[in-house]
Amino acid sequence: MSNNNLVLGVVFIPFFTAIIGLLFSQTERDRTQRYISLMGSALTCAVSLFLLTQVLTDGPQVYRMGGFEPPFGIILVADNLSALFSVMASTVLMMGVLYAVNCQDKCLTYPAFMPLFLFMEVGLNGALLTGDLFTFFVFMELMVLSSVSLVAISDDRYGPEAAMKYIFISGMGTLFLLLGIAAMYATFGTLNLADMGEQLATGQRPLLARSAAIMLIAAFLLKSAVFPFHFWQPDFHTTAPTPLSAMLSSVVVKVGIYGILRLVTLLFAEEAQQIEQLLVILGVIGIFFGSLSALQTYNGKRMLAYSTIGQVGFILVCIGWGTPLALAAAIIYSFNHAFIKSALLMLMGVVASRLKPKSADFRYINGIGYKLPWIIGALWFMGGMALSGLPPMNGFISKLAVAQSGVDDSQWLPLFLVIGSGVLTLIYMFRTWQNVFQTKAEPDEIRVEFKKKGDSPLAPALLLLICLFLGLYARPLVDIANATVAQLSDPSIYIGVVGLFGG
Amino acid sequence: MTDFLFALAVGVLFAIGVFQLLRRDLIKAAMGFSMLFTAINLFILSTGAYDGVVAPYTSNVEEGLAVSDPLVQALILTAVVVSFGSYALLLGLINIASRRFRTVDSDEVSDLKR
Repeated sequence: MSNNNLVLGVVFIPFFTAIIGLLFSQTERDRTQRYISLMGSALTCAVSLFLLTQVLTDGPQVYRMGGFEPPFGIILVADNLSALFSVMASTVLMMGVLYAVNCQDKCLTYPAFMPLFLFMEVGLNGALLTGDLFTFFVFMELMVLSSVSLVAISDDRYGPEAAMKYIFISGMGTLFLLLGIAAMYATFGTLNLADMGEQLATGQRPLLARSAAIMLIAAFLLKSAVFPFHFWQPDFHTTAPTPLSAMLSSVVVKVGIYGILRLVTLLFAEEAQQIEQLLVILGVIGIFFGSLSALQTYNGKRMLAYSTIGQVGFILVCIGWGTPLALAAAIIYSFNHAFIKSALLMLMGVVASRLKPKSADFRYINGIGYKLPWIIGALWFMGGMALSGLPPMNGFISKLAVAQSGVDDSQWLPLFLVIGSGVLTLIYMFRTWQNVFQTKAEPDEIRVEFKKKGDSPLAPALLLLICLFLGLYARPLVDIANATVAQLSDPSIYIGVVGLFGG
Repeated sequence: MTDFLFALAVGVLFAIGVFQLLRRDLIKAAMGFSMLFTAINLFILSTGAYDGVVAPYTSNVEEGLAVSDPLVQALILTAVVVSFGSYALLLGLINIASRRFRTVDSDEVSDLKR
């Protein structure tokens, strides 16, 4: 099969945009770099959408770097799963850049802010599209290092501390990923995902392969902040600058989900049973831990970060059930959650940007929403509906898919989980709505300076419109998810597309 | 013999790295982080580079001589660059944190825990 340049474009357009952006200065007045970045990310989004349509009609697309035949060269593969996740990442990233264009944060004036943001997009898209485990590691590190740098320069005074903690924890994940890669290479003599999948499917199981599976899954769980590895996530996601924290909590955690999906469908399809049992247990704990922690926290952004732990738990439970319907539900859930969560975090940032301390601490923001335009409160209400899974938003579709897959698999757990977690989400979202937007400021609260001008709510409004659209017109996404699962359940499609040399 | 030496080196480096990483002193912990990376890089190197007896890029390989694996060296080159990048960033962040908190004790660098 011939090379498809679109696959390369999704990774390289943000890369070149970032480099071009470095040529321009970035100050409060001069916003050339921001607009260039916006154009680049919009182009990436368009290319990824185009790639998705092409993948859906013509089957998976590949790009071989430097003309080396796999398994020797580096290869980028876009099958349904990669293309869908890449569309999700590119769209949300574009909205993040759109938010950053009119963001008042001081860290936006650093000349490296937008390039680092785009390098994060390179890392994201690259990790999603690569067909090679070592390249996956490299792109993942690119993503981690750029997001760590962005958190370290954040306006929040706790930024460097959170970044330092995260880089230690993430370093552990990276070490395990690298150990897993080394073990895989020692066992199979290849790092190409398709090649490894083919060799693992023959049933030979040297000892190191199983330990490699454990190490890889540990690394992926750490990157997606699943229950026993979650402790870094609220700190890191709270202190990030708003455009970035919206990305971290929505799409960056999905790279780990993507890795787990690849691991259980392509590589360790035979051990999938055992891995999935683990995922269900961790997911259920994560749902309750995340939702209950979100109930009792002190900061709006932190609340949403904890809520991400709960939502990722849902995705894990769905992957753990392992039926085609459940996998489709996991994909729908990941896709929808990315838009909802980034919109909500941006709204929290819009509220916090009106205050002098620029913190989303409930002590400061309670009652502030009353002074803001009503549209922000209305948007938050829509977001709350979406997150807790009320119709007509897209959260309802994802919750419905989860419940349906569980009932189809005759598990009693799902309905209980969906309803229980939905009620908890409803409580914390609407309590926040009431405290922030519906009450007048109380007289004995801490005096904070209220600024006339804050961030623009355009990007979250657009994201919530997408949410509403995906909720009302859910058919295409559900169809794509079903097609993706059909493709995932047959690893030979992926292996055939890569076209192993001599294989 | 090379295998044994490699195993010993990886094991010792891993042990020292884990020990250092668990220390209170942030700079020592960062050093442990770097040591762990080195241990894993050595592990990758041991998976193939010393299997053969001649370097892979020599054009006139004699018959019957096994060629060592060039890929692991390329992998390590990348892994070393990545690990140096994160190590440098980590040290920079520790620098900032130690100035702000006036200490490098990891127990006291915890304003976020409320």
